[in-house]
Amino acid sequence: MNDRSPGNARPTASDDIDTLAGEYVLGTLSAAERYAVERRATREPALREAIDAWESRLQPYTELAPPLTPSPGLWSRIERSLQPVPKERRSLWQRAWHSLHLWRGVGLATAAASLALSVLLLATPESAAPRYLVVLTTPQHTQAGWVVKAASAHDIALVPLGTFELPQGKALEFWTKADDWSGPVSLGLVRPGQTLHLSPEDLPPLQPNQLFELTLENAGGSPLGRPTGPIQFIGRAITL
Amino acid sequence: MGGVDVARVPRSRSVAPRLGATLVDAVKEDTLTTLDHATLITACAGGDHQALRQLYDHEGARLLGVVQRIVGDRALAEDIIHDTFVRVWTRAHTFDATRGSGKTWLFSVARHLALNHIRDHQREISVDEQTAEALDAERASAPAEASDHFAWHGRGELDRCLAALDADRRNCLFHAYVDGFSHQEIATRMDRPLGTVKAWIKRSLQSLRECLS
Repeated sequence: MNDRSPGNARPTASDDIDTLAGEYVLGTLSAAERYAVERRATREPALREAIDAWESRLQPYTELAPPLTPSPGLWSRIERSLQPVPKERRSLWQRAWHSLHLWRGVGLATAAASLALSVLLLATPESAAPRYLVVLTTPQHTQAGWVVKAASAHDIALVPLGTFELPQGKALEFWTKADDWSGPVSLGLVRPGQTLHLSPEDLPPLQPNQLFELTLENAGGSPLGRPTGPIQFIGRAITL
Repeated sequence: MGGVDVARVPRSRSVAPRLGATLVDAVKEDTLTTLDHATLITACAGGDHQALRQLYDHEGARLLGVVQRIVGDRALAEDIIHDTFVRVWTRAHTFDATRGSGKTWLFSVARHLALNHIRDHQREISVDEQTAEALDAERASAPAEASDHFAWHGRGELDRCLAALDADRRNCLFHAYVDGFSHQEIATRMDRPLGTVKAWIKRSLQSLRECLS
């Protein structure tokens, strides 16, 4: 074969993965093969990387298809489909995660955490020492509002660091979500200025980096079982 | 159209160091050539509709061209572009700039939605085995086809390596990548046996990989 050098006479496993990735990106695989590759790629970094490499190499050649002007109504169709997304499911978590303010807050909160930690360590009897600590800060500002200390998923305390003016007809709802959960779980309503002790029965074990937040909901809490109102305080768990 | 409100472009810890000031400036200037897809995709993850609109304004026509070529139906192609942008919006947080450029990610989303659609809906014309064998025997003696079907030169770093392949093997690759043809469709289009086409594509990919390494 004139397009095959002698050096490639014995294909290795990595060659196979690379060729499979190339065929996936070219598009020659059957539906079943495509889905199998997509599933494998989520747990095989080598395959994932090979696919990424072919995508990058071949992308410039998408220019071989001449551009076509979309119909005038296409953008408004797209925009209508976006409406429910940012208001409910997505934006709360993603905006928080991508928020400059949050990270600025987290930076400052690190200092607050050290302070809170030293206070807590002094104030907490050794037997009940928290294994996880979260400083919840405002997303817009750099103010730490609450501290979460937890010995386990069944022993969580939410401690206020200051006061919070709750608007009429509104409630603060407490949520948590670990990185691999599909959505946040409600830990119930919170009274401003009061420590809340929780022993939820069915919460999976806490994880480092687990997200905790307080959102402003209508009185009685979110009817949808997920945050619907703006984030008031947010933070991630650190392991002690 | 105005530029992206740079103050709203999120710079999360995971993305900011890789974007750098020059890319953010490029978006501020809002020039077509320096449009930074990664910054806009990251802004989408932060809930910025205007960022998605900018991606659509700059890439909508090119994406529609790519998808139309694969699915061959204008209304369906526009449906897939719709799904592409909705997906970009909802999956923007999964974009990872270390894995490839924003432009590559955007085009990959559109191409794979189009490819999944045509493979799911069996655009492939099924040929029974006996007919396939008869066709294969006929094609085996077909004269070599030496001309390029695609004006592929001068587009990417792969050019040099593509140039080392025979024209008919390049044609196979581009009928797959650009037209979304299956192995069988390429065999029919190229008038070659199915087995030959499959082997050519595999070996072409291996040759390109060797050439690059």
